Amino acid sequence: MQKIAPITKLALTIFVTIWSIVLQSLPALTALIVCQLILLAIAKVGSSVYKGIASLFIFAAILAGMQYAINHDILLAAITASKMIAMTLVFFILLATTRMQDLSAALVLQCHIPYEYAFMLTAALRFIPDFLAESKAIQEAQACRGYSPQGNVLQRFFSYMAVIKPLVLKAVTKSETMALSLELRGFGSRKTRSFKNNVTLALQDYAMLLSMILFTSYLVIQIY
Amino acid sequence: MPAIALQNFSYAYNHPKKVLDNITISIEKGSFSVILGPSGAGKTTLCLAVAGAVPHYFGGSSAGKVYVTGIHTQESSMQQLALTVGTVLQDYETQLVTMTVEEEVAFSLENLGIAPEEITQRVEEVLAKVGLTGYEKQAVTDLSGGQKQRLVLASVLATNPKILVLDEPTSALDPEGTHSLYKLLSDLNQEHGITILVVEHDIATVLPYADQFILLENGQLILNDTPENVLSFMAKKQIFAEAIPPLWQLKLMIEELTTRQFPPWHTEEEAITQLGKVLEEEARKNA
Ligand SMILES: Nc1ncnc2c1ncn2[C@@H]1O[C@H](COP(=O)(O)OP(=O)(O)OP(=O)(O)O)[C@@H](O)[C@H]1O
Ligand SMILES: [Mg+2]
Repeated sequence: MQKIAPITKLALTIFVTIWSIVLQSLPALTALIVCQLILLAIAKVGSSVYKGIASLFIFAAILAGMQYAINHDILLAAITASKMIAMTLVFFILLATTRMQDLSAALVLQCHIPYEYAFMLTAALRFIPDFLAESKAIQEAQACRGYSPQGNVLQRFFSYMAVIKPLVLKAVTKSETMALSLELRGFGSRKTRSFKNNVTLALQDYAMLLSMILFTSYLVIQIY
Repeated sequence: MPAIALQNFSYAYNHPKKVLDNITISIEKGSFSVILGPSGAGKTTLCLAVAGAVPHYFGGSSAGKVYVTGIHTQESSMQQLALTVGTVLQDYETQLVTMTVEEEVAFSLENLGIAPEEITQRVEEVLAKVGLTGYEKQAVTDLSGGQKQRLVLASVLATNPKILVLDEPTSALDPEGTHSLYKLLSDLNQEHGITILVVEHDIATVLPYADQFILLENGQLILNDTPENVLSFMAKKQIFAEAIPPLWQLKLMIEELTTRQFPPWHTEEEAITQLGKVLEEEARKNA
């Protein structure tokens, strides 16, 4: 999977999402999920990805349970849950097997998205761990000063604001510093920009793209 | 031609107060200069002026001129200046924008449109320079503070700047990280002839390396001289005197109270040897 061009995987994501919406039978959806799991196994992704997938399955099961409680249709509940799993799994494949830098290179070079926007995608992912660490630090700091989230929903909401406000303020200052540092590193002159990694399509990409298109056409013909 | 030259440079952000007031400084090629001054003195602003962010990025109003390697910064662009001046901001965390170590360095080079084959080679070279060889594939978030600081430095060095500007680079580092960062900066200065301009509040850590101190207060240039002259001036005039390292306070006090004059103390060891000699002499006199 890692050898496949990012753009192909992006197409795969879109196609799988379409298939998950179009397919209505439980066996077909199960097959789609199994295929994706096989792809993940071939890609030899790390254990953290599987942990994420496990929580996805639990979440889907809860969703199915809730739906079953509401309208007592076990088949519909199972189909909804499988659709959700099928759609979400493909994002796991995309994110676990594609480096963000390559994805943004593909978006810029092949989809002609301005680099600034593609870059935001990568930068956002880069800062998620920092953001989490920061919110934990602020919570701890507030706890030291006697803050504890207790009481009714409203009280809790207001006391959470005590954590969120400094977090947002910090995020704003950070993004300002980041913008400045990007300028200082010569970012933003797209005319001269290069990409270290090769993201061009190879034979296997064309093969995958073609089969995905054929499969989609087949599905569409079947239905209408 | 000096590496950095400010000629009667004044600057105000978007409010009337002058943050830099009629500053004239000349910093020679290959020197290691340290900007000192109390909080709000304008140290960061001075760094940003050398990098061109003031006024290109911040707007505001300015008067006078700033030259880096002969380029008039106001007539150039930040991208053009990025080739000459490498800048490390105080918050190093936020300057790292990619997922892995090698991507971070490559990012600087990609911004300049360097060919992919050359990027691979330069990334390797520059990571070796800052002692991060072997960390290429490591996630940026998994690095220690000192390693992150080195990575920022690497990503700035990748474009081969002639001047390095660093704003309090060690404010978040432990003593060991601080020491090794300055050792690295000193190597870059000595071996590669890179001109270094750094803001540092802990004077003792830069004394072994600095050849020039720039003392600012309230946006004004108070003194620009050798470290020993600036330190004695600070003590005599009681300007920002609290920042004088304890050993130097002792040295300056002894020099004032007695007729004894010491050569400059760059390190604790020098101070110890010289004080040791003095104590021996005194003991012999008294015996
Ligand atoms: N972006 C900005 N917009 C407006 N005013 C600013 C801005 N940055 C700094 N200032 C003001 O300019 C003055 C000098 O700030 P500067 O950051 O250069 O000081 P400094 O010597 O680096 O201080 P410190 O040691 O606290 O970092 C301060 O009065 C500050 O309030
Ligand atoms: Mg500052």
